[in-house]
Amino acid sequence: MLISNPLALIAEVTHRCPLHCVYCSNPLQMIGAKAELSTEDWVRVFQEARALGILHLHLTGGEPVARRDLSELVEAGHTAGLYTNLITSGIGLPEARLAALVDAGLDHIQLSFQDSREEPANWIAGTKAHANKVVLSQAIRKLRVAFTVNLVVHRQNLDHLEEMIGFAETLKPDRLEIAHSQYYGWALKNRNTLMPTREQLEKCMRIVEAAQGRLAGQMRIDCVIPDYYARYPKACMGGWGRRLILVDPAGQALPCHAAGVIPGISFDNVSQHSLQWIWNESPAFQRFRGESWMPEPCRSCERRAEDFGGCRCQAFLLTGDASATDPVCTLAPSHHLVESAQAVTQGERESVAWSYRSNPQ
Amino acid sequence: MEVLLDSSQPRLAPGCRWGKEGEEPVVLFPEGMIRVQGTGQSILELCDGKRTVHEIVNLLADKYGGAEPAKIRGDVGSFLQALRQKRIIDY
Repeated sequence: MLISNPLALIAEVTHRCPLHCVYCSNPLQMIGAKAELSTEDWVRVFQEARALGILHLHLTGGEPVARRDLSELVEAGHTAGLYTNLITSGIGLPEARLAALVDAGLDHIQLSFQDSREEPANWIAGTKAHANKVVLSQAIRKLRVAFTVNLVVHRQNLDHLEEMIGFAETLKPDRLEIAHSQYYGWALKNRNTLMPTREQLEKCMRIVEAAQGRLAGQMRIDCVIPDYYARYPKACMGGWGRRLILVDPAGQALPCHAAGVIPGISFDNVSQHSLQWIWNESPAFQRFRGESWMPEPCRSCERRAEDFGGCRCQAFLLTGDASATDPVCTLAPSHHLVESAQAVTQGERESVAWSYRSNPQ
Repeated sequence: MEVLLDSSQPRLAPGCRWGKEGEEPVVLFPEGMIRVQGTGQSILELCDGKRTVHEIVNLLADKYGGAEPAKIRGDVGSFLQALRQKRIIDY
């Protein structure tokens, strides 16, 4: 089979984070600081990534700012010829350090917000972070770097989405990403309190459409329907081993953030193998590549080349079988699992008991 | 949305820059890239934030001898407006 080259490297440079967001996509078993790759390892990985045809480098975590060598990492990505994006909560990033990152070649910064209102934002993050983010966003706009505001939405904040979009406008980003919680990692633990109702979702789509029209050319708004309410699954990561490589803090290369949950797959490490070998030869990246692994109804489905049967991690998390059709698909035999999860959506604020994300030991 | 004027000085928006996919020029932006070839490439290469739309149209008219400047102005206008919608061009 002819394998095209990957387009993006997601570098999860640390799992350390000052926030404890209840929808964090990090795995429940996190990697500690001692096991993290060295600066030299990452520099080599970025060079290998470019040689493999990768165009975009997404520096994420945890909180990537927790790495003291972040400027060196940005510079290495930039020097290797990669478009360098920082995905951050902004905590621990004073203005001078931000300016140094931009000087080092940072192309784009994506700053997350938990809400437009300080108190519920801190409630979701499990710490006082909101006010710092507002200050940082003003510093970002003074520099020549592209700026995206990322707003995670869910049942607890969707009812004031218009206010949140208005808040995002005041930060003057180039782009607003409205991201519905995805139910992996910590978000799956908190699913019953995070999942919106169908009514909330329908209202959300109308509000987003109106805002897109009103703000065209000024602030681009991207919003993706949460897959539990979609008819067909998302083409997760553009298909397993088709577009993206994620390298975790310890150097393990994964086709997706959550792939580590799937039992029986051994993921190779960039300390032992080149990215090129991992992409082209490693059994893990070939495991769900192409169509031969597909069960029915995927195997004969005309959408199989569009959504690739959906997300393997979600299939495993919900059914216990990573080769099953993604249960969010209305054609999946296990779709009832998703329908019943929608039915138990519950929890007014007073009664919510979150599982906050913890930190690696 | 702002109208593209003859005096506008288009340039790549913040976070957008030229890159290469193999030997092919591409414009990279936060969430992906676009391949640009032919006249699209010719237009974008002239968008340096200094040249005006009027100057860009004249340069293209010279390059593509025979094409009506009014027609070129129309094509440049719709191309740049579409890229502004995507936040790839500022003017």
